[in-house]
Amino acid sequence: MGARLYTTAEPTPKAVTARKDVRVSVRSLDKAFGRGDAKVTAVDKVSFDIGRGEFVALLGPSGCGKSTILNMVAGLIPRTGGNILIDGKPMEQGQVRREIGYVFQRDTVFPWRTVEANVGYGLEIAGVPAGERRARVAEALDQVGLTAFAKAFPRTLSGGMRQRVALMRTLITQPEILLMDEPFGALDTHTKLEMHRILLQLWERERQTVLFVTHDLGEALTLADRIILLSARPGRLKEDFEVPLERPRDAVALRESPEFARLFSHIWHSLGEEFRKTKAE
Amino acid sequence: MASTQSSTTVLLWRVVILLLLLAVWQWGYDLRAFAALKPYVPNFLDPYFVSKPSEIWKSFLRLGCLTDRGGTLHGWSGMTACLAEDANNIWMATAVTLKNTFWGFLGGTLSGIAVGLILGRSDFLSRVFEPYIVAFNSIPRIALVPLIILMFGLGDISKIVTAWIVVFFVVFFNTFEGTRAVDRDQIAASRLLGANSWTVTRTVVIPSTLAWVFASLTPAVSFALIGVIVGEFIGAERGIGKLIVEAEARANASEMMVAIFVLMVVGILLAIGVRRIQAYLLRWQPQFDQASA
Repeated sequence: MGARLYTTAEPTPKAVTARKDVRVSVRSLDKAFGRGDAKVTAVDKVSFDIGRGEFVALLGPSGCGKSTILNMVAGLIPRTGGNILIDGKPMEQGQVRREIGYVFQRDTVFPWRTVEANVGYGLEIAGVPAGERRARVAEALDQVGLTAFAKAFPRTLSGGMRQRVALMRTLITQPEILLMDEPFGALDTHTKLEMHRILLQLWERERQTVLFVTHDLGEALTLADRIILLSARPGRLKEDFEVPLERPRDAVALRESPEFARLFSHIWHSLGEEFRKTKAE
Repeated sequence: MASTQSSTTVLLWRVVILLLLLAVWQWGYDLRAFAALKPYVPNFLDPYFVSKPSEIWKSFLRLGCLTDRGGTLHGWSGMTACLAEDANNIWMATAVTLKNTFWGFLGGTLSGIAVGLILGRSDFLSRVFEPYIVAFNSIPRIALVPLIILMFGLGDISKIVTAWIVVFFVVFFNTFEGTRAVDRDQIAASRLLGANSWTVTRTVVIPSTLAWVFASLTPAVSFALIGVIVGEFIGAERGIGKLIVEAEARANASEMMVAIFVLMVVGILLAIGVRRIQAYLLRWQPQFDQASA
């Protein structure tokens, strides 16, 4: 057994139609910063599709434009060229979509709100009645083991706990499409694994469509159904392959399994070139 | 901070220094009686200028209608009669100055926050108004006081307006800077969770700007007091500033010192008050951890 590696730079039209139910479609997406001589191409003609309920990892070295792609899909930054379609409908520039949830790499928990007020934020501004809100917040906190910290302010929490608050703040609004920008990048290895366990558990239940940006191959293998590999600057689509690991997965047991190790080393060696280029940076 | 000195030692030294200062103030000038010490006693210790703690205390009791001119304690009726006699007795003067400081502070703070938020959230408006604000801000506010008194009269309004203007700029600039310092990702997170522009302002920009606003409130409250006192110097019917100017006219150092001490106490109490509010509203910030506990 091994990774089925597609070496096409762009998914063929056949591959697009083969995926029955496409939720997010990214078509020759371009992003350039600056203009004239100072123009820098960050993202170069990137195309891919994400099917309903699919967990896709966008893997690439630092500075390859993977977060830029994610931010364009989220509507946070305008794109220079290309198109993004959600359920077949093109996205307007700078438009923030209701069905999209986003988890940041940086700590964006609101420090002036308690844990429960942070998690309930999206419901509060959507006008969900206080009673229902309380119940849903309590359930969300219970799912990530933060019930005891409901009334605490974020400054009293560890980095991992704060990221669980940020995760639930997004998930409680029940987004169908979840965009995650290296959400566990700042956490230590142990906490990271714990977060993988929690995320897998939550995702198995809801099966959101996920686009997960990371530069960590182990993380991508642990979580994703499919990995899209980007090249170093400018970001181009390099590989697009499925992760043949069974679900449900156990984040910790998976790491110790021989399949994981085989897959990891296989991909590492075939893709190693790109990664070694970046590790040196 | 870990200190090698215990807090008792610190307190002890504070008391020692206070007693030493009071002793020099009270008896220092008398040392001129000894010919050998005379050249070492500076002129500013002359009670004609700085009075003496004992005299200041006596003046306080008299101005406060607690004793009569002879120094014997008033009874209840004597006190009421004394208070009725002087419309600008120390209690009334303090109340008036405090009242004007409060309204000026409140008005200046609220309008400063409002304008700071509006200009901070609108690039267009902030660019349009920038030269006006820079120009107006370069006028020393105190220079406006005679004009304000001309416009609003000798009453309380002119003092409130002075304090208002002084406070407004301090709070405005801090609020404006605060809105510029709001974490872009927190705003993005709020928008992605469904917030519109006003909701972002209300739930993200205002709370995170509050820290900046409050950083300006401690100086703002002292500035408000300064504004009111200067207004009272230049032209007023009542207030502590008026007491000071009158005492100066009579070359009465004790009464002047009483007024200054009352101002000191008022200033301390106002600062403590602001800090209490600050500690509560900013209890989510680490540096206010102790204060809120």
